[in-house]
Amino acid sequence: MIGHAVARLRASVMAVVFGLTSGTGLFVATTWLVIRGGEQVGLTLGLLRNYLPGYSVTWPGAFLGFFYAAVVGGVVGWVIAFIYNKIVARRSND
Amino acid sequence: MLTQPANSNETADKSADAQRCVIIGAGPAGLTAAHELLEQGHRAIVLEADHQVGGISRTVEYKGFRFDIGGHRFFSKVEMVRDWWDRMMPDDFLVRPRLSRILYDDKFFDYPLKPLNALRSLGLLESIRIGISFVTIKLFPYREEDSFEQWVSNRFGRRLYEIFFKTYTEKVWGMPCSEISADWAAQRIKDLDLLTAVRTAFLGNRGSDGKVVTSLIEEFNYPRLGPGMMWERVTEVIEQRGCPVEFGNRVERVNHSDGRVRSVTARTDEGSREVFGSNFISTMPICDLFEALDPPPPEDALQAARDLRYRDFLTVGLILACSDPFPDNWIYIHSDRVRVGRIQNFKAWSPEMVPDPSKSCIGLEYFVQENDDLWSMADDDLIALGAQESASLGLIRTEDVIDGVVIRMPKAYPVYDRDYQKRLDVIRAYLEGLPNLQLVGRNGQHRYNNQDHSMVTAIYAARNIAGADYDVWGVNVEEEYHEETSASQSNGASGERLVPQRLEESRAARVLRDAFARYDAIALGFALAIPTAFGLFAATAILLIKGGPAVGANLTLLSNYIVGFQVSWAGAFIVLVEAGVLGFGFGWAMAKLINAVVGWQERALIRRLERHLVFEALDKKVS
Ligand SMILES: Cc1cc2nc3c(=O)[nH]c(=O)nc-3n(C[C@H](O)[C@H](O)[C@H](O)COP(=O)(O)OP(=O)(O)OC[C@H]3O[C@@H](n4cnc5c(N)ncnc54)[C@H](O)[C@@H]3O)c2cc1C
Repeated sequence: MIGHAVARLRASVMAVVFGLTSGTGLFVATTWLVIRGGEQVGLTLGLLRNYLPGYSVTWPGAFLGFFYAAVVGGVVGWVIAFIYNKIVARRSND
Repeated sequence: MLTQPANSNETADKSADAQRCVIIGAGPAGLTAAHELLEQGHRAIVLEADHQVGGISRTVEYKGFRFDIGGHRFFSKVEMVRDWWDRMMPDDFLVRPRLSRILYDDKFFDYPLKPLNALRSLGLLESIRIGISFVTIKLFPYREEDSFEQWVSNRFGRRLYEIFFKTYTEKVWGMPCSEISADWAAQRIKDLDLLTAVRTAFLGNRGSDGKVVTSLIEEFNYPRLGPGMMWERVTEVIEQRGCPVEFGNRVERVNHSDGRVRSVTARTDEGSREVFGSNFISTMPICDLFEALDPPPPEDALQAARDLRYRDFLTVGLILACSDPFPDNWIYIHSDRVRVGRIQNFKAWSPEMVPDPSKSCIGLEYFVQENDDLWSMADDDLIALGAQESASLGLIRTEDVIDGVVIRMPKAYPVYDRDYQKRLDVIRAYLEGLPNLQLVGRNGQHRYNNQDHSMVTAIYAARNIAGADYDVWGVNVEEEYHEETSASQSNGASGERLVPQRLEESRAARVLRDAFARYDAIALGFALAIPTAFGLFAATAILLIKGGPAVGANLTLLSNYIVGFQVSWAGAFIVLVEAGVLGFGFGWAMAKLINAVVGWQERALIRRLERHLVFEALDKKVS
């Protein structure tokens, strides 16, 4: 009756938004380096292969990177929403 | 001749007397209504049960010493009311400095509470307990905020609630705080919470616009001879203008037929009399009014009125042979050793409240129930009790008490219990069938109102009779109302709005609240902290497990932001903690920022809607 409603996060929406943003972000970052070209393309970005097996700063790597980042981003987005909603529910339970 | 005998014939009903407004009660609301009706060119008569004007806002004189029913400050956020008071008494207002403290556990605490002063007096151990209970309630607040206990605890923590709110509130209302509706707390201490109070302690008392708010807390207006002086003055004015105020007229029957009130029957010392009118304004308690309706209302409405609860009040006035017992205007007594709830020092309100400067007079306030042991106690015993209690608190010496007087005030406080609002809904639904009867004022509407709001309801009722269309019940419903707000900040009563629709409005408010939902900053803090912390922990751990010659040369660069970080197992735990803290801070700040912007947008929308409503209503009036 008093105060404001507390906003909830929709986990599926968060997963899609985080997934698409991360996937597109890594895809653009990779293709940008590939298009610019040069001697040693994307040395630092290429280190991501430590976490994303098979990833490289190449055209096929850009597509694989999109896939990986979309999955990881999606999971992170979903987890953020999940944790947030759980805490909100817990805090207003007593 | 303004009145008719009870058995006068029907033609009297048609006479000129019937073309006036009959006002029940000569308290602030009744007298203000009469004044406004005269301003609007209408006729009125005021019937008062008592032999003195002012109702609860009267000043009682005893051997030249003056006593209020509680001290009555004249403060209002409503400009119209402030102007009205000034016009009525241009030369007789004093601006008084305010000092009021709480007496708890034999220690004085400033009131309004000042955190530093409070913590100093409470001591270190108690302060830590308060801090812990505050953090606990912030993490795990009550989900429902229906009761006073839940509302206050959610804002101040349970411990502070127990020390500063529970005992006194229960003394005043005579029931557990868990049964008192949160509305009352929301109205009286709205927007004030511990954090605000602490900020105030350090930064001074600033409103949201950054202006320093001092006026209402530190000083207030008070008529030289007490509030009764105002209402005696108003009585003189309206009587001069032809509106009689008739004392000793207790309205006992309200006669109605065909959806209109026709007359009221009042009991006087000489018998009963019937007074006719075309319109009726009642300030008498709703329960008495519904008992008086003839024919009686349907059972559910009558029962709803009967079930409204009140708190009664008695003041033991003591005359003291000392010039200045204590510096405060009043002291709140939080101790449960004594039954007195608050003590007024009337000379600190106005020096003219005492006829002899070497003496003083105090008022001990007992919150009681009509016919309970205190109410029924003999006056002499009450005076002895008052003297003994104030001496035991160390405020006076018993030998200084030279005389005393007892003033009983039934139904001083309309009680906001859990169901009062539902009852009022039933009552109001019935009253819609009697459009020429308007209920105004404190007990008239069962509202915990001050004089100003009682007056606004009365002014609106009078203007309705002159053709306006105000919702008298809309005054002071959801309006921000607490003393800590500067007088200039608001136009005051929500009744300033033209014809607000209570039900519609609450539905709209609900929609607005959902549309402008706020983020939970703590939850968003944790929600970002956990993935950030564990994400970076995992990133470090993966590199360590994979091994190799120069492990994590690039990831080590994080040490620019994470103090002490390196790609090692120790570093993994360091990043777990620090990234967690950073993630939390980021999430928390993000939520706060979003909420601030959403709040700003919401307020802007409401302002636009209000403006739109006003223009729409004005358009209607102009056309
Ligand atoms: C302890 C205390 C402290 C307060 N302090 C302040 C303050 O500091 N500042 C402030 O602005 N307000 C204060 N108030 C509130 C203020 O007293 C009320 O808001 C105000 O008096 C209400 O005016 P009213 O005309 O609505 O009702 P009342 O003052 O109750 O007047 C109603 C009148 O109707 C008469 N009546 C009742 N029944 C009948 C009947 N059947 N027939 C004829 N007449 C009848 C009564 O005798 C009374 O005269 C305080 C109240 C209390 C109890």
